[in-house]
Amino acid sequence: MDSLIIKDVKANIEKIKKQIPCSYAVDYDITGDFKEGYITLDKKNMIYKISIDGIEPYHEDKNLTLKKKTGLKSIIKISEIKEIDPLSVAEFRVGKRKLKEVLTFEKAERTSIKITKKQEYSSKIDKSSMELINKIGADGIKIPLESATRLLELKEKKGIKYYNKVLDRVVSEIKKRQVDPYEAVGIIAAQSIGEPGTQMTMRTFHFAGVREVNVTLGLPRLIEIVDARRTPSTPTMTIFLKPEFEKDEEVTSRVVKEIENTSIIDICDIETDVEDMTLTIKPIKERLKERMVVLPDIVDALGREKGITVLPEESKGRVIIKPQQDSYKRLYATQERLKTLTIKGINGIKRAISRKQNDGRWIIYTQGSNLREVLEIDEVDSSRTFTNDIVEIGQVLGIEAARNAILNEAKRTLEEQGLEVDLRHLMLVADMMSFEGSIRAVGRQGISGKKNSVLARAAFEITTKHLLRAGLMGESDSLAGVAENIIVGQPITLGTGAIHLVYKRENTEKQVQ
Amino acid sequence: MSSWISKRISKIQFALLSPDEIRKMSQVKVITADTYDDDGYPIERGLMDLHMGVIEPGLKCATCGGKVDECPGHFGHIELAMPVVHVGFIKEIKTFLESTCKVCGRIKLTDDEIKSYSATLNDAAFSDLDPDGLASRSKKVTDQCTQRLVCPHCGAQQIKVILDKPTTFREEGIKITPKEIRERLERIPDSDLAFFGLNREVARPEWMILMVLPVPPLNVRPSITLETGERSEDDLTHKLVDIIRISQRLRESRDNGSPQLIIEDLWDLLQFHVTTYFDNQTAGIPPARHRSGRPLKTLVQRMKGKEGRFRSNLSGKRVNFSARTVISPEPFLSVNEVGVPEKAARELTIPVTINQFNLDVMREWVKRGPEPRDEFGKYMSGVNYIIRPDGRRVKVTISNAEENSKRLEIGWVVERQLSEGDIVLFNRQPSLHRMSMMGHSVRILNGQTFRFNLAVCTPYNADFDGDEMNLHVLQKEEARAEARIIMKVQEQIMSPRFGGPIIGGIHDHITSMFLLTHGNPEFPEEDVIHMMSYLEINEPPEFIMRDGKKYFKGRDIFSALLPGDFNLKFRSKLCAGAKEKCEYEDDPADKDVIIINGKMVHGTIDEEAIGPFSGQIIDKIFRKYGPQEAAKFIDNVTRLGVAFISQRGFSTGIGDYDIPENAISDILQVSNEAVEKVGKNIEIYNAGQFQSSPGRSVEETLEIEIMSITGHARDESGKIASAYLGLTNPSVIMARSGARAKMLNISEVAGMVGQQSVRGERLNRGYTQRTLPHFKKGDIGANARGFVKSSYKDGLNPLEYFMHSIGGREGLVDIAVRTSRSGYMQRRLINAFEDLKVDEDRKVTDTVGSIIQFDYGEDGVDPTRSNKGKTVDLDYILFDIDQEEK
Ligand SMILES: [Mg+2]
Ligand SMILES: [Zn+2]
Ligand SMILES: [Zn+2]
Repeated sequence: MDSLIIKDVKANIEKIKKQIPCSYAVDYDITGDFKEGYITLDKKNMIYKISIDGIEPYHEDKNLTLKKKTGLKSIIKISEIKEIDPLSVAEFRVGKRKLKEVLTFEKAERTSIKITKKQEYSSKIDKSSMELINKIGADGIKIPLESATRLLELKEKKGIKYYNKVLDRVVSEIKKRQVDPYEAVGIIAAQSIGEPGTQMTMRTFHFAGVREVNVTLGLPRLIEIVDARRTPSTPTMTIFLKPEFEKDEEVTSRVVKEIENTSIIDICDIETDVEDMTLTIKPIKERLKERMVVLPDIVDALGREKGITVLPEESKGRVIIKPQQDSYKRLYATQERLKTLTIKGINGIKRAISRKQNDGRWIIYTQGSNLREVLEIDEVDSSRTFTNDIVEIGQVLGIEAARNAILNEAKRTLEEQGLEVDLRHLMLVADMMSFEGSIRAVGRQGISGKKNSVLARAAFEITTKHLLRAGLMGESDSLAGVAENIIVGQPITLGTGAIHLVYKRENTEKQVQ
Repeated sequence: MSSWISKRISKIQFALLSPDEIRKMSQVKVITADTYDDDGYPIERGLMDLHMGVIEPGLKCATCGGKVDECPGHFGHIELAMPVVHVGFIKEIKTFLESTCKVCGRIKLTDDEIKSYSATLNDAAFSDLDPDGLASRSKKVTDQCTQRLVCPHCGAQQIKVILDKPTTFREEGIKITPKEIRERLERIPDSDLAFFGLNREVARPEWMILMVLPVPPLNVRPSITLETGERSEDDLTHKLVDIIRISQRLRESRDNGSPQLIIEDLWDLLQFHVTTYFDNQTAGIPPARHRSGRPLKTLVQRMKGKEGRFRSNLSGKRVNFSARTVISPEPFLSVNEVGVPEKAARELTIPVTINQFNLDVMREWVKRGPEPRDEFGKYMSGVNYIIRPDGRRVKVTISNAEENSKRLEIGWVVERQLSEGDIVLFNRQPSLHRMSMMGHSVRILNGQTFRFNLAVCTPYNADFDGDEMNLHVLQKEEARAEARIIMKVQEQIMSPRFGGPIIGGIHDHITSMFLLTHGNPEFPEEDVIHMMSYLEINEPPEFIMRDGKKYFKGRDIFSALLPGDFNLKFRSKLCAGAKEKCEYEDDPADKDVIIINGKMVHGTIDEEAIGPFSGQIIDKIFRKYGPQEAAKFIDNVTRLGVAFISQRGFSTGIGDYDIPENAISDILQVSNEAVEKVGKNIEIYNAGQFQSSPGRSVEETLEIEIMSITGHARDESGKIASAYLGLTNPSVIMARSGARAKMLNISEVAGMVGQQSVRGERLNRGYTQRTLPHFKKGDIGANARGFVKSSYKDGLNPLEYFMHSIGGREGLVDIAVRTSRSGYMQRRLINAFEDLKVDEDRKVTDTVGSIIQFDYGEDGVDPTRSNKGKTVDLDYILFDIDQEEK
C-alpha cells in the first residue's frame, strides 16, 4: 500500500509535534487514501513517520496547523508522529519507478528488502570434508578446506593406511607451526608491512587493466589505506553483473550508460540569445542515442532547476530556457550552471568502461564511486561488485565488509607491487582498524591517539597536550604496553617479558641452613 | 629471596600540584636571583643552592648528603609576588570562567540538568580509561553553560569572558587579574568539577593559577664550565633568574605603594617570564632569547619533538658496551659468526661474578692483565676492571695484575674482555624488521672492520661501500640465553613477512652453483679435492672411474652438501616459463630440480634453489632438519660457491655485449623504423586525422600510441641482441641464474636504451614548447622527447645523455621522497600495533584486554613457520612420503 511522503521544513514539523493529533493544511491537492506517511527535510531521507487518519479538501477551521498562510488545498489528519532512523528515498517506489527525491510530496510504496537467497558457508562445503575439519579441530588445530578435500581424495585412491600416514604428518606439521604464546604479533605485522614500503614505487598514477581509469597504487595507496582516508584520491568501482547478464554485451552497455553520469553539455549544444535573453538547448541526436536519453528526460531535469522558466518545443526538438530575472549576468550564470546539470546516471561516477574478460564475461570499471546507488541497479550483482572506497563500503555494507575491504585493498596494493606479505599481517591490521565498530586510522587521530597509556601517547605525538590533560583528569598509567615500559626502563610485557619465571631454591635453602 | 625478583612499577599517577604540595616537596625557598659568589661557591637560597642537589664533584648535597652520582636532586620553590596564569591550562581556565557563575561560583546548569548530566559525568568516569570520551562529553555540557546569561542558582547576570591571547582575560574590555580569576575559581564547589573533566581527587581549578613556582633540581639544569673557566648556565636557570628578579621588583613596588600602572606592567612582565619559562613558543608572544639571540629552550621545548626528552632520551636510550665500525665481507665465517677487530674486543667487556666454580679460572684471567696474547701472539681475552662488593672499581694494569688476581674472592665481579664464542647483538640501521638485529657469536680477527658471511647481507640490507654497523655486548646471562635461543642468525633464517628464507646465497654463490650444476659437467679429482677442502662435510661426493682416474659430476658435488634423506622437487628459475621442455636444458627432465635421498639427479641450481626469498632448498632443509642444519647448508653452499668460482674463474666485461654487424644493423633498422613510425603518427595528428580512443583526448591517444611504438622498438632490439647472447656469455649467466641484473639491462647495453620518461610520460618540460633549444618549437617527434636510440655500449650522444639524466633524476628524487614517507608510515604502524600479543590460547589481545582476533590469523599459524602463507604444504608432504615409500 502506498504511503504519503511529504517534504517540509523543520519549523512546521515542530508545530505538528506540539499539536498532535493535528490537522495539517498543505498547499497541494492530494487524492487517495493513506494510513501512514513519512516526512523528509532534505528530499532524500525520511526522518519522521506519521499515522494518517484521512485526507480532506481544505476548509476553514480554527484548529488547523497551516503550512503556509495562503494557497492551501488539502488537510492531512495526522494522528501520530515519531522520529525514526533515517530511511533512504531509495527504499521507495512509485509503481515500478524508483523514487529519486521528494520535491513536494509523493505517493510511494516502501519496498522492504527481502533476503531472497541465504548462503551459509558450511553448506557450501561437502559434508565429509567438514567432518574431517571438525575432527581435527577438536585438537585445537585448523586445517584448510582444500587440504581436507585432498586428504579425502587420497583416502579413496590410496587406501586407509596411506591416508593415515599422511594425516598424521599433516596434523603434526600444523601443530609445530602454531604461533608461540606472547608473540609480539602486532610489531611483526607492522614491520612486515612497513619494511617493503621502502621498496614500493611512489609514482601516483598507473593504469590498471583498463587504460581509461587512473588508480593510485604503490606506497601512496598503502598510506591512504592505513590512514583510512574519507575518500581515496582515485575512487573507482569494479562492477559485476548478475550471472544471467554477465555475457550479454547489450545489457552491459545499457548498464554502463545507466550509471555513467550524463550532463547537458555531454549531449546538447547550448546557444545564447542575447536579444531575447534566452538560452536554447539543442540536443544532438547521435549523442542522445548513444547515451540513451530522450528529450523529456532533459525537460524533466531542467524542470527541477530553480529560477528558470522552461519552454519545451518538442516539435523543433529543442528547449528554450528563460531566466526569471532579466540580466546578462544571470543569463551567463544560468548557462554555466546548466552545462553540468545531471540528466541521468549516478552522481559521482565520472566514467564507466566495460571490458570483456577472456572467458567472455563483462566487467564494468568506473572512475568515481557511488556504491549505494550502483547496488540499486537490478542487473548488478551486489555480491561481487566493489569499490576501493573503504569508508563508503563501511557506510553501505557495515563494518565487517569494511574490514574485508581493508584486507583486500592492502593485499591488492602489495601484490601489484610484487611484494610478498603474509595475509595474516594484513588481517591483523584490518581487524585492529575495525574491531571497535568504526574504522580507525593508524596514527594520531586513530589508534595511537586512543591508547590507554599517557606516556605512550606523549611519546608519539603532541607530547605536552597529553601530559597536561593527564594532570587535570588524574589519569594513571598502568604501564601495560611497550612504549611506556621502555620509557620507565623496565622489561616490556611481550614475548619473554610476559612471563615471570622464578626458580624456587628449596633444596639449597635447606643446605644453607 | 624476594630480592631476586626484580621490582616493577605498577602504575604512575598524574595530578596537579597544589601550592601546598609544591612548598612541601621543596627543600629550599629560593629568594635571590644570584647563583655563585665570587669564589664560585653556590649562594645560599640562590638558584644553585646545594639543597637542590650537586653537580660539581667534591661537593655534597645539603639535603641528602649524596655526592654527584648519588644525589637524585631535590626541588626548591619560588614564592611569586603576585599570582600568574599557567599557559598550559589557558583553555581550561577560560572554560571555567565562562561556564560558572561569576558571583556564586556554581556551574551554570539547572538542578535538573545537573542530575541528568551527572549520569555520565561523575567522579567514577575518571576511572573508565576513556579520557577522550570524557573530554568530549564535558565539552558539550560546558558549551551549553557558556550560552547562559543568567545564573540558574543565584540569578546573577553573566558577562561574556574574552580571551586576549595568550594569557589575558577580559570582561567587557576590562582585564580580570589572575588574582581575581583565582578567587573565582576557588568558589567553584568540588561537586561541580566532574562536569569540567577535572578530577576532584587530584586537582582544584585554582591550582591552574600559580602562586608558587617549583624550581627544578640542579641535575635538570646543570651549569657547564667553558674552557675559558667561564660559567654558562642552563636556559631554565636563566629564565628562573628573570622570574625571581621581576617577582622581587613587583613585591617591592606593591609594598611601597607604587602607582597601579607600574605594578600592572611588572605583573604583566612576570606573567611573560613565567609563560615563556613553560613554553617559549607560545603563540602571540615573542620568544625569550639568550644574549646571543638564540631562543631559549624551556620546559615544553625540552620535551616535545624528535629531539625532545620523550623521543630522544626515553623511547630510545644511549648504551654502553657497544661498538660501531665499517663492515666488510668474510666468506670463511659462518652465518652465525661476526668478526670483531681486536681493538674493539679489548674494550668490550662482560661482567663475571666470581663463585666457587670459576674462581681459579678468573684468577688466571686477571693475572694475564689487560692485553694478553698466547704463545703464537694470538688474541686472548684479559680483564679490564675488577669490581669489589662495595662497588669500588679497580682498573687492571700489567703492573697490578698479579696482585689483583690474588685478592680476587667469591662475590667479586670481573669485567672480562670479549672472547671467541661470546654471543653479541649485531645491527644495521635503519632497523626496519626484526632481522635487522641478530645474535652472532664472536670471532676475534685482525683488522679494523666488522666482518660477516655474505649470506647475511640480505636481512641487514647491507653492502660494503662504506656501510657501518653496531655491535652490542650483552651483560646478563638471561639476555645471552635469549639471544642464543631466539635471536641467533640461524633462528632468523625464515622471514615472518612471507614465510620463506631471507638468508641465502647471493651474486657469485648463485653464479657458481649455476656453473657447477648446469649441464652437469665433470671435474677431475685434484680440482674436487681442492674444493672439498673448503667444506665441512661428512662424506665425499660420488665419483666415476675413467682411464684409472676419478671424475666427479657437478650435481654429485652439490649433493655432498645435502642431508642423506632429503627429497625435493621444484622448477628452477632458469626454466620458470618452460612447459614441456626448457630451451636452456638438453634433457627435458632438467627443467625441474629433483633431489631424491640427498642426491641431486636433475636440474640446475640457481636463485630459486639457494637465493634469499625463494631458496627452496634452504626452506625445506630448515623445516625438516631445523635451523642448525639450515645454517650449515648455507655455510657450505657459500663456501663451495667461492671455492668453485675462484678455481674455475669467472669474469665479465664490455666484450660480453659484442654482437655481430648484422645484428647491429637490424637494431638500427628497428630504431629508425620506430622514429619514422612516430613521425608518421605525428603527421596524421597534425593533419587533424588522428582518431582518439574512447575516453581520451586526441593528444593523450597519440602519446599512448608513441609510447607503445618506442616500447616495442626496445623490446625488439632486446630480442635481436639476446639472440646472439647465449648461456656461454657471463652476463647472460648472471641474469638467467638470478645472480645479478635482468635481461632488460643486457638489452639496454647491447641493443638500445629506449624511451626515457618522467612520471610515466615522455619528456615534455624544459623550454617553451620544447625540451631543449636544439629542437624546433612544438616538435613532438621521438628524438625531441627523449627517445634514446643508442645502446650503453655504443654510448649516448650528448642530447640522449641529457635526456637519460632527466629520467635518472626522477629515480633519485623518488627514493628520497619514498624513504621519508615510508619511514613515517612504519613509525605510525609500529606505534599503533606494538602492544598486541598472542595469549595462551592464541587470542590476539591489547593492553586493556580487548580481543582483536579470536584465533591469530584465523588458523593460529605463525607466518614465519607457514609455507609462504600456506598452513601446510601437502604437495611436499606427499612427495616426501612417496620417496620414503619407495
Ligand atoms: Mg651501502
Ligand atoms: Zn641530594
Ligand atoms: Zn550564581
